[in-house]
Amino acid sequence: MSGRTLAGTAVKAGLLGGLAVVYVAAVGMIGSFVALNLIGEQVTMSRVLMALPAFLAGYLVARPRVQGGVVQRAATGVAVLAGTGAGVLTGAVTAAGLALAKVPSPDTVRGIFERVTPALFHTISFGQSVPTAALLLMLAGGALGGVGALLQMLPETYRRPINVALMCTLLMALLQRLIPTILIQLALKFGSASPREWSNWLYSSRFSGLTVIGSVVVFAASVAVALLWANQGPKLRARAGSLAGNRRPFVTGGAAVAILALLFVLPILSGSVVSLVLGTVGIFLLMGLGLNIVVGYAGLLDLGYVAFFAVGAYMMGVLTATGDSGSSLHPQLPFLVAIPLVMLAAAFTGVLIGAPVLRLRGDYLAIVTLGFGEIARVLAVSDLLKKYLGGPLGLYHIPQHFLGVGFNDPEKFFYLVTAFVLLALYVSWRLARSRIGRAWTAMREDEQVAEAMGISTVKYKLLAFSMGAAIGCLSGALFAVQIGSLEPLGFNIIVSITALAVIILGGMGSIPGVIVGALVLIGIPNLLDEFQAYRLLIYGGVLVGIMILRPQGLVPNTRRARELLEEEIEQDQWGKGTGGPSIDATVAVGGAGE
Amino acid sequence: MSLLEVRGLSKRFGGLYALRELDLDVDEGEIVSVIGPNGAGKTTFFNVITGIYAPDGGRSTFDGHNLVGLKPNKITKLRMARTFQTVHLFPNMTVLENAMVGQHCRTRSGLLGAILQLPSTRAEEQRVREKARDALSFFGSRLVGYRFDQPASALSYANRRRLEIARALATEPKLLLLDEPTAGMNPRETEEMTHLIGRLRQERGLTVVVIEHDMRVVKGVSDRVIALDYGRKIAEGSYDDVAHDEQVIEAYLGRKAVTR
Repeated sequence: MSGRTLAGTAVKAGLLGGLAVVYVAAVGMIGSFVALNLIGEQVTMSRVLMALPAFLAGYLVARPRVQGGVVQRAATGVAVLAGTGAGVLTGAVTAAGLALAKVPSPDTVRGIFERVTPALFHTISFGQSVPTAALLLMLAGGALGGVGALLQMLPETYRRPINVALMCTLLMALLQRLIPTILIQLALKFGSASPREWSNWLYSSRFSGLTVIGSVVVFAASVAVALLWANQGPKLRARAGSLAGNRRPFVTGGAAVAILALLFVLPILSGSVVSLVLGTVGIFLLMGLGLNIVVGYAGLLDLGYVAFFAVGAYMMGVLTATGDSGSSLHPQLPFLVAIPLVMLAAAFTGVLIGAPVLRLRGDYLAIVTLGFGEIARVLAVSDLLKKYLGGPLGLYHIPQHFLGVGFNDPEKFFYLVTAFVLLALYVSWRLARSRIGRAWTAMREDEQVAEAMGISTVKYKLLAFSMGAAIGCLSGALFAVQIGSLEPLGFNIIVSITALAVIILGGMGSIPGVIVGALVLIGIPNLLDEFQAYRLLIYGGVLVGIMILRPQGLVPNTRRARELLEEEIEQDQWGKGTGGPSIDATVAVGGAGE
Repeated sequence: MSLLEVRGLSKRFGGLYALRELDLDVDEGEIVSVIGPNGAGKTTFFNVITGIYAPDGGRSTFDGHNLVGLKPNKITKLRMARTFQTVHLFPNMTVLENAMVGQHCRTRSGLLGAILQLPSTRAEEQRVREKARDALSFFGSRLVGYRFDQPASALSYANRRRLEIARALATEPKLLLLDEPTAGMNPRETEEMTHLIGRLRQERGLTVVVIEHDMRVVKGVSDRVIALDYGRKIAEGSYDDVAHDEQVIEAYLGRKAVTR
């Protein structure tokens, strides 16, 4: 890679990083997170938000890039220099933003960005005057950028564990409302005299984030586990694969029992608030699993997935409701009878929506499904169906008490949702490895050839739509049970986008990816109230960031990852006019399999 | 009755005839080559009889079934399989999976079987695997062993062409349509492919129609040669007859070549 392109990239990354800090500050995120301690008393979420752009700028500048079908890497020294430069620039832009915002009277800026407060200036400038702050910001930015570049230049064997550990530490710090509660509850169960001690070494009770010692322990432990997995993982997998046929069920069975036991004690230990959050995670996990079949397996981009969420919720509401629900229909079916009916209705809706769009591909399909999502919402509020769906008022008094259990209790609801999630996981997993899954993959890779090889694309597209709908609708049905009432305005495009963000973050077509996506995107913002206001901003950022930086997602499906890299190389070569694609560079793709 | 019967088949793109009133028969057990200059309508002929394009006129029957109006997947199920002029594999599926896709139309397990792992589904899946391995083993050691689990995109060019044929074989066809199977291959690979086309008939009892530009291959494999130009059949017969046909020489080299 020539020095000039590298310098150009560094300047671009630095400017973008700086703009990101200024933007995040202007919308108030930095100001809101001053009190959210992550590690010790100094590392707050605000500081992380300020540091991350510089670090990422450095990390990304040093990234090897594909040029003319060849993977190119800069020399370490040069890359670190470029990373440092990018970091300094990030700091400089931040400082420039700070200075600019101070030039007019503070009220002028506050008139536009109401969250630009004197306290924010204090945070960003470290309480110093503008020139000193600028110097500090640039120094810190340079250091972070340099470190980021250095990390990128480390060999894969070290880089991966460190990346994993950094993410784990951040995650643990963000779970500060969940893990201490669990630890204290555990201590109580074991009859400890001073239960707080169980969590105090890890999470401070004074400032609620990870303690310095705790963060070091978490980091070291995750590095160790990641290293061990990198070294031993393939061997372990091979050994598990070669286990004698009669011993294998015991191993998988043991693992299954352990996971079930964990899921059983989780709500007991973590309490109602967290159980409520986990229940919501479960709802979105179901939606993600359904959408994953349509988008991840069959490759049909559906932007109107909220339609199935709405069908599930309203069907559940109408079928189980008693007389005072706001609907003129109230067959008062028991829950277990209603569920299969809801799934059938959703599968039928899937076919109904799928049939007219059979001939559409890619962007066109996305736009039409977007329309279907809106139709669902409009129908829900319409006067036409007011008699049945309650119009703008929605439905209420949806029974939450059945099978002798009151599912308005978040802990009980967690079990209900978990049961359905496990079912959906099993079905997704089986389908992916079946003749049907193979047909979907073939169709996703090359629709015309799949048809020429004897796969009925009509049948398998409709099957994908209806299976996705049957699983996805469960999210709506359980949502109706969780809340007990339905408000039609909630069934908007944001739901579709959230579901899509969940599967994109984790990696399309990857079941572990959907789980990770739901936990991160739904769990964390719900656990930390500070995030709630910036939810959509975070989703947008995640979508853009993942699409550019790691299009295969965090826990990718290997096949999907290959497809994406191939497209990239092809595009690059097309741009250069060097003829057909060479896929020999695919070896460079990393990422764990499903 | 012939295995494949084509009568008066026409296909237009705008004002241009890609196929014009084409009559053609292929008998069971024959190896027929289709030749012609670029744009003569050879690939269009394949695309029309395999259902990718609908014809503008005429009819085609295969094994007693009318093909017009059938979707490509139905036609494959009737035991007609094809390869493509430019290789079209499922690049990110493994070699074995590519061949297993070929077995799709010969199997029937559905949703319930997949979810509940019914014994019949497991047995069928096992059978699909075996049939796919068998199809791949047609090419000796080239596509077997560790290659089973490699993504198709990792194969060399010639192996991708071979895998495409294996995938077609896995559909258990009676008639195999090969669209320029030796394009881009070196002379040694081309010779091997010539030999393979003969084996397709000997060992698997297939009828083969092959579009080919390399005249050595055409000479080496064909019982009969059909020459197309501007969508019309201009000559038909043994290799020697067609190769010395004036119209064919004219189509390839222009009028001057004939008069000189």
